[in-house]
Amino acid sequence: MSPPVNSPSLYRRLLIWLLVPMLALGTVMLVQAYLASRDTADRAFDRLLESASLSIAEQVKRQQGQLWMDLPPAALKMLASNAEERVFYALYDAHDNFISGNAELPRIDDGQGNMRFTNIQWHDMALRLGVRRSQLEGWRDRQPFEVRVAHTREGREALTQTLFQGSMLRLIAMAMLAIGVVLLGVRMALMPLTQLRRAIRARDPRTLAPLDLPLPRELAELRETLNDLLARMRRVRANQERFIGDASHQLRTPLAGLSARAELALRQNDPRAWHDALGVMRGSADKTARLASQLLSLTRLNNPESMPEARDIDLCDIARQAVRDALSSCHRAGIDLGVETPSHAVIQRAVQWQLAEALANLIDNASRYGASRITVRVGETPTRLEVEDNGPGIPEAQRLLVLRPFHRGMEGGQGSGLGLAIVDGIARAHAARLTLVPARPNAESQGLRVRLHFTEDSTP
Amino acid sequence: MTTPCRLLAHWVVALTGLMLSAMALADDAHVLRYAAAHEATAQPLEIYGALDNDLMAPLLADFHARYPDIDLTYRNLTTLTLYRRFLAEDEASADVVMSSAMPWQYQLANRGHAQALTTSAARQWPQASRWRHELFGFTFEPVVIVYRRDALEGATPPDSHEALLRLLTHERQRLTGRVVTYDPWRSGAGYTYATEDAHMSPRYWELVAALGGVKAALADTTGEMLDGLADGRYAVGYNLLGSYARDFVADHPQLEMVIPSDYALVTQRLVLIPKRAPHPETAERFVDYLLSRQGQQVIRDKTPLGAVHTALEGEGTARDLRKTLGDALHPIAIDPSLLATLDTLKRHSLLERWQREYTRLSDNGP
Repeated sequence: MSPPVNSPSLYRRLLIWLLVPMLALGTVMLVQAYLASRDTADRAFDRLLESASLSIAEQVKRQQGQLWMDLPPAALKMLASNAEERVFYALYDAHDNFISGNAELPRIDDGQGNMRFTNIQWHDMALRLGVRRSQLEGWRDRQPFEVRVAHTREGREALTQTLFQGSMLRLIAMAMLAIGVVLLGVRMALMPLTQLRRAIRARDPRTLAPLDLPLPRELAELRETLNDLLARMRRVRANQERFIGDASHQLRTPLAGLSARAELALRQNDPRAWHDALGVMRGSADKTARLASQLLSLTRLNNPESMPEARDIDLCDIARQAVRDALSSCHRAGIDLGVETPSHAVIQRAVQWQLAEALANLIDNASRYGASRITVRVGETPTRLEVEDNGPGIPEAQRLLVLRPFHRGMEGGQGSGLGLAIVDGIARAHAARLTLVPARPNAESQGLRVRLHFTEDSTP
Repeated sequence: MTTPCRLLAHWVVALTGLMLSAMALADDAHVLRYAAAHEATAQPLEIYGALDNDLMAPLLADFHARYPDIDLTYRNLTTLTLYRRFLAEDEASADVVMSSAMPWQYQLANRGHAQALTTSAARQWPQASRWRHELFGFTFEPVVIVYRRDALEGATPPDSHEALLRLLTHERQRLTGRVVTYDPWRSGAGYTYATEDAHMSPRYWELVAALGGVKAALADTTGEMLDGLADGRYAVGYNLLGSYARDFVADHPQLEMVIPSDYALVTQRLVLIPKRAPHPETAERFVDYLLSRQGQQVIRDKTPLGAVHTALEGEGTARDLRKTLGDALHPIAIDPSLLATLDTLKRHSLLERWQREYTRLSDNGP
């Protein structure tokens, strides 16, 4: 029952569940940091476009009936940072006619306000374009015009890189710290599990005493469950010990009887006395053999490892066969044995030999405990097997006790005390309900009806 | 033709006057050719440059001596032709393009037409003399004042812009018609210097007014100005290209060259490898050579162009000039403000102002 070698450890599972989301989160944060850096860089450099275009716009005037400007060289210098960007500018009039400039730059139609920015791809160059809408400040005409300035993105990219590297270093430091904390935390959290494992391993393998060590709540539940299991095992073991004790006692008694009888016979010289003794001894040996076989089947039933083969069988067949088998012995004892079955087959998934054994035991029990009339019955909806007799019955207080091995309903009876225990074992193996009720509750001799009640999931 | 090309062509047409640059001394395209030692293993290399053959020859010869397997062709073009050829898509591209027209070289690189060079020489190149790893300034040429000693006897020599302004104001009578400078309308270099001067100090406009006051002659090229100074037509020349002036002044003892002490503009020739270069490997080898200690040594020793390499010392090198002039040295920055120079409206604004200031004194003159 050792776990598969490649089953993931709890430690690893926890780490994966903590670190993978952390990694995903980190990636998202990195992307976000990059976008934020780019945004910041763009905003910083857009200010350059803004001031350059403003200082150009201030130089625009009207001269000889047309737009005129005295281009300030500083405005162009402003557009180039240390990264030595390529610089472009142009002046356009209200009708989008090119007035002057070193490049024909496109307009920006969307956006609001007097200053608009956009990224454009222009002659294989990635440019940031800024367009300023302005108008002449004059007494008479207030003609609108546009100053368009653009530069390449090197400076922005350099600033983005610088900002991003800063954020990345901070993020990496935080991630390292978080990973360290997670590793430590998981190790600390799993420590009680190690303690529990050590406590279990250090125990004497024979002891079934409950575990007693302080544990966190989740593991305390596990400890309680383990203790429950240990308690059940203790009970099972007690039962087994009692069973073995009872069984050896039961076997010793007839064997001692046999031995005493043989000794008594040996002291006599009369062959008839020998003959009688041998007869008694044979009867005693038969009984002992039956006891042994019953013990064997009980052991087989109680063995959790055995997986008897179940198939669909007809309960009517089983009932008839059981009656046929017991007929002659009953006839000798003057017992009226009968069977009642529906005219058609009643199919149930079951282990044939077990049901046969159960019926044989019940018929045997009834015959031994003073019944003169025994009826085996097969019923439908719900599917059931019944054995009814007109014997003295079992007082209500005794009904559960008789299911235990070596408990006899009546002192001095001839049975081994195993019959009903075996039937109970078979019922349990089939998940069938076993009920013991009086056959005629109001009569003096109540009789007994033992019923095996198959339920939906009644398969062994 | 794509839209941006049309746009550039538009500028090309608009700036035709600007293209008649003093730096492109040769109008017709001269070709220098250094054939490979072995025909079979020849690796072609085609260089377009706006640099005179006699300036380029020592460099090319040295390079060819080091890499004899390279079949080298150098075409000396004007900056205009160079620019036009570059943008003409149906024409085969050069492997290396060198030009003194800084704004235009910058414009090409800014538009992504140049490929990056990341050899160790390129990576160690001073930050101020490169843009990204696509555009490299490989020469260091101050803009200078040249005057005739005999014509300025008794006056303080113009060793700064301040002194020049004082000289022009005090000696207005004596110097009328005897001062020469670039014509910013017609010369690209002149226009670039005017932009930079105006950017350096608002008092530049006083200087322009003073130049107008002495009815300064306007020339297209440094050579023209030097010739006029040598034969005595002019007494003072303002904003001459130092690399040409240095050797010329050395040959003419009556001339004196002054690097202004308050601020001295420095122009650089810019080299780039086009993305379309048919032979990028040989192109990289050549540019790497230009930026290497050996190449820079040739520039220092055999040309007047001025070496940039930080390890090189000696007359005309960037290190030497920095040592003597310190903060007054003002190299034209290889940065987006060059693009402003190319703006047509900007150009009109500046030139109109220039014209206004230039004619201010002569209109209301005494």
